[in-house]
Amino acid sequence: MANFAELFMRGLMLGSVYALVGMGLTLVWGVVGLVNVAHGEFVMLGAYFAFWAFSLLHLNPLFSVALAIPVFFVAGVLIHRQITERLVKEHELSALILTFGMSILIWNLAQFFWTNTYRSVPYLTGNFTFMGLVLSKGKTVSFVLAMVITAALFLFLKYSSWGKAIRATSQNPEVALVCGIDTMKMRMITYGMGIGLGGAAGAIISLQWVIFPQMGASYISRAFAIVVLGGLGNIHGALAGGLIIGTLEAMVTQYLSAKMAQIIPSVTILIILLVRPTGLFKK
Amino acid sequence: MKALLSEKNRIWLGIFVLMAFLISIPFFASDYWITLLTLILIFTVYSSGWNVFSGLTGYTNFGLAWSIGLSGYVSSLLIADYGFFWLFAWPVGAIFTGIVSIGVGYILLRIKGVYFAISMVALTEGTRELFGTKYLKTVTHGGIGVPFVAGIGLSTLYWAILVLAFFTIVICYRISFSKFGLRLLTIREDEQAAETLGIHTTREKIIAFILSAFLVGLAGSIHFTYQNYIDPSFAFNIQLTLTPIVMTLFGGVGTVFGPLIGATLFTFIHEILWAELTLLYMAVFGGILMVLILFFPQGLLGWLKERGILPRSRKI
Repeated sequence: MANFAELFMRGLMLGSVYALVGMGLTLVWGVVGLVNVAHGEFVMLGAYFAFWAFSLLHLNPLFSVALAIPVFFVAGVLIHRQITERLVKEHELSALILTFGMSILIWNLAQFFWTNTYRSVPYLTGNFTFMGLVLSKGKTVSFVLAMVITAALFLFLKYSSWGKAIRATSQNPEVALVCGIDTMKMRMITYGMGIGLGGAAGAIISLQWVIFPQMGASYISRAFAIVVLGGLGNIHGALAGGLIIGTLEAMVTQYLSAKMAQIIPSVTILIILLVRPTGLFKK
Repeated sequence: MKALLSEKNRIWLGIFVLMAFLISIPFFASDYWITLLTLILIFTVYSSGWNVFSGLTGYTNFGLAWSIGLSGYVSSLLIADYGFFWLFAWPVGAIFTGIVSIGVGYILLRIKGVYFAISMVALTEGTRELFGTKYLKTVTHGGIGVPFVAGIGLSTLYWAILVLAFFTIVICYRISFSKFGLRLLTIREDEQAAETLGIHTTREKIIAFILSAFLVGLAGSIHFTYQNYIDPSFAFNIQLTLTPIVMTLFGGVGTVFGPLIGATLFTFIHEILWAELTLLYMAVFGGILMVLILFFPQGLLGWLKERGILPRSRKI
């Protein structure tokens, strides 16, 4: 029983980080109306950000996570202003192909400059015992960090004036514009927040999982599964979806094989789109 | 003075001379050029196949590699394990893919827009993982791949793909001014309006999807026979989906000859890039994709049509 509880905790911890990736994707998709296929690459860049900050500047990885959010936010705002804002009025598939190109561009550049070596941040290794459960220190810290960021995001969207304006833009851009909300600015901020969440998730991931230039692909496929599970643009749904995917993955890895666990995102996407295309949860 | 040949006959003569030239190439050209032309023709069929469904209906198919890989796998396994003659193995692979596509199309084509694109990616990824698992090892040889010898010469292979590419373009040309083609274009412009006009949109989409999967599958079978090897990550590689999309965007989406022109130009660009910038090849590829979408979304043929250099006709 303790084994099962440990497994379940491991799944939730994994899922909380996946949820962070998924929330960034669903936020941009829901508010800006763009599918950002390059989201996984920003996760990868976030991971490398924390790695280089640790190995070159000897920065505490926990501090890098906090630093990644503003850095990636600014990067996201700039990218949206220069590139993706042009596609807001275009057919949604243009953005899909464009961000696919961006994704390839980014991972190949990362591969070129940083090589294909698998790296990790040797920080917080080892386990500890909590209420009879043996838990990994690094994973527990990741879980707490992911939950803090998630809570901050929820509070921001619910109570801050920017958060309200973002939700208004998401619900009805025309009416929001008529009410005096600068929807273009809100799209820019949302895009920045999405990228910021991706970067933070990457920095958290670097705490305990190996990082490499093409890691984005596996995170984007899970993020898509999470968005589909939670419903497009539904942040709370994405959190639940992330926890579900993480738990499923831990279970399947344990009881079937790691290879089968890789099929989970694709199978989830196909089943949910066929059975309940609006996602599992009400908005 | 009366012209020696009418315009229609001149075009026919041109096609005849071009085909005669292309057929005669293996008699004098080096293996390098035959290989290059073979690749151009394979990718012409991939691009035209993508275009006939996605270019006309507006449903972006991000699972082209699924049709390519599935048909390639079936025919490769038939040749490797069951001793099939290549000429019989290829159509069996393509027909199998076409039949599976009926089911896939029937289920997935109800999903619209971006979701359809994602579900096709999911299907491709899922199939790739499935073919690599130990559960299907007795059939697919698992993840280690299938090396095989089909006993076909390079020239014969070239002629085979030439015939296929010719018929693919003829089919695309016929579709461009057929009622079927118009129905597909109506779906692209406004699916609801198409339904209101009495078009059975799901059926039309499925027919185009199957046609696309069949043509692309046939080319995929030839492709993997040419490579003499197949494995899951190679057969269902996202690159096999992306390259034809870039080629079609390059030449012009929804045009008849755009995919051919795109495949030809892009294969040469690929050759140069691959030789000069191997490590940054994908970055340049991604950059080209972005530039095409941002500044050149209508493609080469679309651009020429816009400027009046080519007539604004669906037949080009």
